[in-house]
Amino acid sequence: MNKLFKKISTIGGLTILLVLVILIATGTGAMHMSPLQVLAILLHKAGINIPVRYEANMEGVLWMIRLPRVILGVLIGAGLGVAGASLQGLFRNPLADPGLIGISSGASMTAVVMIIIQGSFPVFQSIPLLSFYSLNFAAFTGAVITTLFIFRVARSGGQAVISTMLLAGIAVRALCESVTGLMTYVANNEQLRSITFWSLGSLGGASWTTVMGVMPFILVPVILLPRLAPAINLLALGEREAMHSGVKVSQLKVQLVILATMAVAAGVAVAGIIGFIGLIVPHIVRQFTGPDYRILIPGAALSGAVLLTIADLLCRTIIAPAELPVGIITAVIGAPFFIWLIVKEKRAIVI
Amino acid sequence: MMLHIKNISLTLGKMPVLRDISFEAAAGELCVIMGANGAGKSSLLNVIAGEYPAYKGVVRIAGKDLRTMSVAQQATTRAVLSQQVVLNQAFSVQEVAAMGRYVYNRQLDTLDKGIVQCALRTMQVYDLKDRPYTTLSGGQKQRVQMARVLAQLLEAPGLQELDYTGKKMLLLDEPVTGMDILHEQLSLQLAATLAAAGVLVVAVLHDFQLAAAFAHRILLLKEGALYTQGTVEKMLTSAHIKNSFGVDVDVLSHPQCNYPLVVTAATAGLFQSPAEKALNVF
Repeated sequence: MNKLFKKISTIGGLTILLVLVILIATGTGAMHMSPLQVLAILLHKAGINIPVRYEANMEGVLWMIRLPRVILGVLIGAGLGVAGASLQGLFRNPLADPGLIGISSGASMTAVVMIIIQGSFPVFQSIPLLSFYSLNFAAFTGAVITTLFIFRVARSGGQAVISTMLLAGIAVRALCESVTGLMTYVANNEQLRSITFWSLGSLGGASWTTVMGVMPFILVPVILLPRLAPAINLLALGEREAMHSGVKVSQLKVQLVILATMAVAAGVAVAGIIGFIGLIVPHIVRQFTGPDYRILIPGAALSGAVLLTIADLLCRTIIAPAELPVGIITAVIGAPFFIWLIVKEKRAIVI
Repeated sequence: MMLHIKNISLTLGKMPVLRDISFEAAAGELCVIMGANGAGKSSLLNVIAGEYPAYKGVVRIAGKDLRTMSVAQQATTRAVLSQQVVLNQAFSVQEVAAMGRYVYNRQLDTLDKGIVQCALRTMQVYDLKDRPYTTLSGGQKQRVQMARVLAQLLEAPGLQELDYTGKKMLLLDEPVTGMDILHEQLSLQLAATLAAAGVLVVAVLHDFQLAAAFAHRILLLKEGALYTQGTVEKMLTSAHIKNSFGVDVDVLSHPQCNYPLVVTAATAGLFQSPAEKALNVF
């Protein structure tokens, strides 16, 4: 009962927080709207009128500019959150993060290669959704290959060895970045702009097309991963024990790799590398809920969405009218957090 | 026969680990596997646990060929306590024990909760149920793991409520490592109680005293093969122990003890090669 209460209150609380953050973020910018006005416009779109006054041009700004960007942040943040949580479950290690272990670089590399390829075939320019989906697919393939590679290298006796995992991550990142560098070298001006944008991470390219492009790739993992949560819990005991208890371990691992990388890759394909969300979010949630993945995964989805929306809000307001790439903000917050985490883990090992 | 093993061989890499082992065990038996380090005790247990699908030979559990049993079928028939379970995430003791019910129910119902509670009480860790697992001592952790395995095995919240003959098997790989003498006894009494309820218990043990007190049958392994097997009285002789462990022992009987006592011989020649004897002089 206590457990159920904890789950409902955590998920409920985070959902309310997310709605508030969405309303505030959507209203903030060059043209300010109060959360109530935002709510009124959204409800008006849904056919419900509430007695709040707003100016007519607010509707256009909100619908065409602000909302797609906020929704994209919510989706990508949720994807990174669940991906981080489930990768930590897969690697049995709280330091596994899609950015740190090179999955994002792998996704980014194949995405950049795809951009160059797309430049040579006019069919991609004429059908925008096709170019988004093919970009997604390329990023996904890159991410899956890197994850499998790192998992293979780092695993020893059924457990991912942390030092090997991080070293393999460094090597993979170096390799991927060199290929990305090569692509930068051969790219033309326009391609160069997209590539730079990739490596920094930004939600600036948001439109309803990009939202539609990533939506399925993020909703599928966000819906399916919580169903795997009881099995991920057992994986914490070790692969052998999980198998003894009735978990189809190899099947579970394949599902985790595919779903987690799908969520990461979708984000990378439209917004580039946004680091540390997948690392920080599960940790924060764990402080409140404990390690149970049944609460952790949905909690990480919601908190990831909240955190990325706030980070994006910061990066487009602090130096307005210019804006910072959101990857810089998450790195500025995330890197010290990562150092703190290492120190904490070190202390835990010594004791 | 609950467990039927015929001509099992196993090679890991290029190393032959098990050679042509055959034996049978009936429901309600408590079989103890003994042998020197590297004799293949754990490997044999792991083959029965379904971990090495690459074995040669036949393993049948409750009449079914192990190779044809799904992971879920295996998990509902047998529970395994491995030598060392590493869990470094702060699940509560209760959550860990409840993991044993995974194969039956992803969401615990009233019966599952009753079974988990019974398992925790049996292993005397009920008082710790809300403690994070990571804060426990080694012996406490081992007891919690045993409670988890017990929760997987039981089908009712009590040890003697159901007859498990032909339905359940429990594999224990050095289950009492790190436990104090009280909980060592408690764990093996639990194994004996389960055997009395029809569960086949196969345990790897190092301690002759525990094996002598609780085993119905002892299997001695040597260099990956079954050296010999039989009752406690027949197995625990100085000749057999000398042959499988390479150490001289005296087997004593004591009027207050209904099983043989194994003690290392006062004259034990542990250092056999001349070089080692020379070392011993220093």
